[in-house]
Amino acid sequence: MVRVVNRLLHMLFVLWAVATIMFFMFRLMTGNPLAAYIDTNFTLEQQEALLVQFGLDKPLWQQYFIYIGNLLQGELGQSFFYRKPVGEVLMNAFPNTIVLTMGALVVAYLFGIPVGAYLAWKRGTWIEGVGIPTVLATRAAPEFWLGMILLAVFAFNLGWFPSGGANTAGAEFNSEFARFTSVDFLWHLVLPALSLALYLQGLPLLLMRSNMLEVMQEEFVTMARMKGLSEWAIIMRHAARNALLPVVTTFALSIGLSVGGNVVVETVFSWPGLGRLLVGAVASSDFPLAQGAFLLITLVLVSMNFIADLLYHVLDPRVSHGSNN
Amino acid sequence: MAATTDAAPALGPGIYRRKTKTQRVLNALNGMVAVPMRDPFALVGLAIYVVFVLVAIFAPQIAPYDPLEILFADGKLASNIPPLTDDHVLGTTNLGRDIYSQLVFGTRSALIIGLSAAFIVAALGTLVGLLAGYFGGLIDTIMMRIADVALGIPFLPFVIVLAAFLDPSVWNIVLAMALLLWPNTARVVRSQVLTVRERAFIDAARVTGSSTSRIIFQHVAPNILPLSFLYGSIAIGWAILTEASISFLGFGDSNVVSWGVMLQDSFLSQALSRGSYHWFLPPGICIILVVVAGFFISRGYEEILFPKLRD
Amino acid sequence: MKKFCSQNCGTSPLSILSIQDLHVYYETGRGTTRAVDGVTFDVPEGHVVGLVGESGCGKTTAARAITRVIPKSASIVSGRIIYDGKDLLQLSNRDMAALRWREIAFIPQSAMNSLDPVYRVGSQIIEILRDRGGFDRQRARRRAVELFEMVGLDDKRLRDYPHQFSGGMRQRAAIAFALALEPRLIIADEPVTALDVIVQRQILDTFKDLQERLGLSVILVTHDISVVAFSCDEVVVMYAGQVAEAGPTAAVLAEPVHPYTMGLYNAFPDLQRSAGTLVPIDGNPPDLTLTQTGCRFADRCPFVLDECEREAPSLIQANEGHTAACWRRGEAAALRRQAEEVTTWQRS
Repeated sequence: MVRVVNRLLHMLFVLWAVATIMFFMFRLMTGNPLAAYIDTNFTLEQQEALLVQFGLDKPLWQQYFIYIGNLLQGELGQSFFYRKPVGEVLMNAFPNTIVLTMGALVVAYLFGIPVGAYLAWKRGTWIEGVGIPTVLATRAAPEFWLGMILLAVFAFNLGWFPSGGANTAGAEFNSEFARFTSVDFLWHLVLPALSLALYLQGLPLLLMRSNMLEVMQEEFVTMARMKGLSEWAIIMRHAARNALLPVVTTFALSIGLSVGGNVVVETVFSWPGLGRLLVGAVASSDFPLAQGAFLLITLVLVSMNFIADLLYHVLDPRVSHGSNN
Repeated sequence: MAATTDAAPALGPGIYRRKTKTQRVLNALNGMVAVPMRDPFALVGLAIYVVFVLVAIFAPQIAPYDPLEILFADGKLASNIPPLTDDHVLGTTNLGRDIYSQLVFGTRSALIIGLSAAFIVAALGTLVGLLAGYFGGLIDTIMMRIADVALGIPFLPFVIVLAAFLDPSVWNIVLAMALLLWPNTARVVRSQVLTVRERAFIDAARVTGSSTSRIIFQHVAPNILPLSFLYGSIAIGWAILTEASISFLGFGDSNVVSWGVMLQDSFLSQALSRGSYHWFLPPGICIILVVVAGFFISRGYEEILFPKLRD
Repeated sequence: MKKFCSQNCGTSPLSILSIQDLHVYYETGRGTTRAVDGVTFDVPEGHVVGLVGESGCGKTTAARAITRVIPKSASIVSGRIIYDGKDLLQLSNRDMAALRWREIAFIPQSAMNSLDPVYRVGSQIIEILRDRGGFDRQRARRRAVELFEMVGLDDKRLRDYPHQFSGGMRQRAAIAFALALEPRLIIADEPVTALDVIVQRQILDTFKDLQERLGLSVILVTHDISVVAFSCDEVVVMYAGQVAEAGPTAAVLAEPVHPYTMGLYNAFPDLQRSAGTLVPIDGNPPDLTLTQTGCRFADRCPFVLDECEREAPSLIQANEGHTAACWRRGEAAALRRQAEEVTTWQRS
């Protein structure tokens, strides 16, 4: 319990620090503090309201406290481009990013874990000799480039999948849930999720492999052999179960890392997610939106690190079940 | 079965014994370069680097055209020439630029960005890790807190924001990498320093009256340099990948010929729908080769550091 | 209890296990290490045989070779391991796997590392009972409780994870594991080495009691001659991959014939008598990657003769049921008197 509180405080500290860095970056580097929140195309009343809300006429240190206070209430200002509150714009894009990330990660882990275990088992054979460099190549390839190839082949050349977006233009749905479960949406999801998954599978795969190799050296695996257990039971029940532990915790870590790294894949497939929003906002100097998107991505990253840490301690009985003798 | 993990003996016993300065330097170099290269993968990685470095140096001699020159043939714009026509091995872009020449010149910016970022990340990370690990206490706490924050910042979004606020330049990518990627190296170096610090020979050096800086740089550093090299060789790939992503998103320096800019160019010029694979495949393959070479070389250093995995 | 071998197994009819001229070699970076180099001994049914020697003498390798579960770098080069009339080295992998634990069980040195950390201890016993013993879930659970009672553990502990056990409890659990399928032979590899002396004694008591009650045959691997004195009927002293001396425990310990045994006895405190002066044997065992013509103990032996360096002595009967590999076995009584002097073992 002490540990959980400790990690939580740590997480809040990091969030506060990043928010502070962002404050100074956006106020100082945009040249003009007003520019961070006020677009000259806004109506005068809107400009006036924002001036008060963010205290932009006050000294910098007061602005800072107002900024933190606003953040705590989820108040991020008005998007210049969308003419809507930043929070609303973000919340429209966020589910798309989460679905894309989770879809890709699930595929990546479902593929990477068994294949990693298999490659460990095939250690020293030609399969390993071919497999490892291939996996390393997918880790080394830019994710957007993998996306470009998939796009060229499966969308443009073969025409099996749409070339971009999350829905066919004009499609209408009763609810967000209906949209996410529609064939149309899933059809659009395949290629971006696949290119992300192709990039992401290397981590669980290589980790699983090296963990397996390590666990197979453990005395309890030798003992399992002495007990006459079947090779299948030894590998699946004992070796894989132990090797899996650290891999599972990287799943949470990967969610955090991938939400930030999705940026390029979302751009290639015009996927209406957070990353694409961030790129568009930065490119069009929509500072409130850029800042909001950045902070939301940070929030996901930091909280996933926190969850990964907790997960590890829940899953490992050596930690979750304390010594009691 | 498995040997116990102990990084130091793998460096050779020479490091422990009293030796002249040159001998010590030679020994350290041997540990840094010769030992990892015993790994066949590391050797392949090094070979790939050598080829790319040669291509980068002799780019003007190798490339048939100026990579940015707009070419004309028979008074018409030489655009979208298919590969293997005339002397355009990989054809031309839709603006009539020679793709092969761009690829050759792209090697330069890739290596410049990769090597400088890797050097800064490894050097900064090693320095911070050394100081934090050796002195401990408040310095350690502060530096590790800063490291936590840096690791809590999403990498690519940060580079995008930074690149947008500053001028589009490859150096801003290097700067962003330096700001965010040093903590990985620093953390590992720190924990390694903590173990090395406790070893007897450091005590011996202290008793004989060596100064702090002498202890750090002569005794501790040789034991953690392979770690820096390990993280450095991985950072090269990271830097090149990051440059490609940033350029692809349009925040790069469009006056520089780089593999990332080539990919952006092809993407925006409908190379995908036209099926111009000869345009967008080669830059990606080059990126993979350089990054994988980094992975391979890092394997060589892992060999030194964690020998138990491979018996 | 004791029964005769139904077939002609070429050994004493009372033996449940007979190891004959066993060679186990390791391939290492420096060459071939002959860890077990021509070892021969018998395990009479219902007896506890101690396999004793310094670390690295090949005792663990020899004992583990019986189960044929050995590291990848090791190979059983030649020899015979006759168990119940069958040569285990001739069995197919499937037949060997079928025999493991049901016939020959194993108690490891460190029960901590030999238990899977992510499963409860109970479910690991039940795994053996169900997978290898054909128990159904309910009977397996009852049997697990019974086994824990046998070794003196509270059955509530079945719900614990291995890391929640103390060292002594883990070794007790390891004994319970070994007994699960009522094997005829148990190989115990340094079963109490990791524990403090008092706990050692308690666990050896429990083990000895169960062994007698169940009529088990046991190979007890240990480096500790006092453990041998306490719990073994026969003892096989190994040195540098070979048997130096073997025979009934009382005879070997009271009247050792091989100088190495004399030295080993001096080098250890006794469980029963108060610790006297401990005298270590100078020097180190020979490098097993090199071939050696003479007696392997010659370098460290205070009674070495020229012929010891020239030719290795073979294992020959010295007294009734008591064998030793020493050229001077005839003068054993005189050497024993010298060996009691501390100065004999001190080199100039």
